[in-house]
Amino acid sequence: MIRLTGIRRDFQVGDQVVSALRGVDLMVEAGEHVAIMGPSGSGKSTMLNVLGCLDRPTAGSYELGGRDVSRLSGSELSRVRGREIGFVFQSFHLVPRLTAEGNVDLPMAFAGLAPKERKRRIAAALEQVGLSHRADHRPRQMSGGERQRVAIARAVVMQPKILLADEPTGNLDSKSGAEIVALLERLNREGLTLIVVTHDDDLGRRCRRLVRLADGAIVSDEMNEEARAG
Amino acid sequence: MSLGDLLRFSGGALFGHPLRSVLSLLGMSIGVASVVLLTGLGEGARRYVIGEFTSLGTNLLIVFPGKTETTGGMAPLWGGVPNDLTLDDVEALRRRVPSIRRAAPIAMGEATARRGDRIRQLTVVGTTGEMREIRQLELNIGRFLPETMAGRGPRVCVIGCNVQRELFPEENPLGKILHLGEERFRVIGVLAPRGMSLGLDMDEIVEVPVVRAMRIFDQTTLFRVLIEVRNRSSLDATSEAVVEVLTDRHGEEDVTVVTQDAVISTFDDILRVLTAAIAGIAAISLGVAGIAIMNVMLVSVTERTGEVGLLKALGATDRQVVVAFLAEAALLAFVGGVLGLLLGETLAFVVGLVWPKIEIEAPTWAVLAALLTSSVVGVVFGVLPARRAAALDPVDALARGH
Repeated sequence: MIRLTGIRRDFQVGDQVVSALRGVDLMVEAGEHVAIMGPSGSGKSTMLNVLGCLDRPTAGSYELGGRDVSRLSGSELSRVRGREIGFVFQSFHLVPRLTAEGNVDLPMAFAGLAPKERKRRIAAALEQVGLSHRADHRPRQMSGGERQRVAIARAVVMQPKILLADEPTGNLDSKSGAEIVALLERLNREGLTLIVVTHDDDLGRRCRRLVRLADGAIVSDEMNEEARAG
Repeated sequence: MSLGDLLRFSGGALFGHPLRSVLSLLGMSIGVASVVLLTGLGEGARRYVIGEFTSLGTNLLIVFPGKTETTGGMAPLWGGVPNDLTLDDVEALRRRVPSIRRAAPIAMGEATARRGDRIRQLTVVGTTGEMREIRQLELNIGRFLPETMAGRGPRVCVIGCNVQRELFPEENPLGKILHLGEERFRVIGVLAPRGMSLGLDMDEIVEVPVVRAMRIFDQTTLFRVLIEVRNRSSLDATSEAVVEVLTDRHGEEDVTVVTQDAVISTFDDILRVLTAAIAGIAAISLGVAGIAIMNVMLVSVTERTGEVGLLKALGATDRQVVVAFLAEAALLAFVGGVLGLLLGETLAFVVGLVWPKIEIEAPTWAVLAALLTSSVVGVVFGVLPARRAAALDPVDALARGH
């Protein structure tokens, strides 16, 4: 599903070049549940941005579903983001003036899906995250956990190949956080490839595979037998 | 994104900041309203003036002594001293040009009018009875001047309604004597109120037989001859015939004949240009409104950086982001334009109530141009903010948004 080969990402800071990623190789199979962990400054955010096609690597290649996406043009990348990748952010990133339905509808509006199909998928996605009864509520009227569930519904409504979650429980209390984790794991069991970027060890330990980054390189990549059993 | 999605999304964004949106709508509305109102006033003035002239009758020729080029101006210097235009000329025209229905000679001057101990300066118009039909003059009381131009003319006069009020207060002027200069005239009629017509306040004049007027003012030439032709289609032919007859009599072409149409079209042109100039000035405010919209959109883009990042993460292309923000600016401008149109028409209606003489109606071209300009302005001034939004780096934008 995902094949990163020799990914470098350099940033110009003043007159210095700083490498956030220095030659990362990573393979992720379809349906995997991967945690990418590391302290701040380890390059995990840059990793997330590259995986999410929000950022282009300075060197190396990124194959997503058998296609090299590291050299695509801006509008082709937009298409890839819209159709093949779902994002879940720490701070939810819902559009405050839109209802839950409206937020879930956004990626389909950009992709130009037929209105009838969009209606059907909105209902299905909200059902999936257990928020059918909150469809016409605005983010302001919802709890943090509910907001994140709307964001997850929005992330999966285009039926992407992978779901990227950036500290998905970072802004939630432990109860809502546990619910969100359970929801993400259920989606993963249903076949969605799930990549969680976090510095939270508890969250990381729940994933079946744990990739640790430090100073822009992978320092460990191990299967988590405990989580697999669970 | 379909058009419906676009309108819903951009419209929703505008509703998110009602005060800001309303203020920039207001700017555009005032711009469009001023175009509508000012061109409406210009157009109303034009129609009023044209209406005044047309009410004189459209089959009118005006003959005056002296040959002027159509550009007007310095005729006497170039054309030499013209021969007099005389009553005999008028008689000859009536006889020799059959398409003339009526011809009224006019002599004009200022004279001191006295009635008892009341004295005032008046414009004296010397003419004949045919004047009444040609100018469609109504009488309050009495009768008009006799038809005749022969002899010395009777000492009778017809007075304007203001003259009656001022010189004959609280008495019936008919049969009373009015002194004009050295001569005594008997009042035989009073004109109905008419107001300004052909540059003359018809309520402030005294009309006397033309021969008498020429004697009072010691004039040998007529001031004008008004000719009504039998039908409108023979206007040009009659005009040529008149020139021909008078050239024949005077031995040279020394008169000028203008048609009503020529006078009207000159005024028409002047007032149209004036209206266009007013519209241009008002259009400046549309530009100002455009800059206001740009300002609002720039603020909006800065504020919604996080949203732009999100839209990009959700698969919006740069183009879609540009279009979404452009649509916002265009909506502001267009809705502002429509509101301005309503505002302008309302103000025009109110002005019309206060000042009913001038019918204020903005010409269609001005209305369309104002709406079109406001929309174009919105799009043009929306381009910069929209491009700025689209150029945002999604990673930065997402990070800065919260």
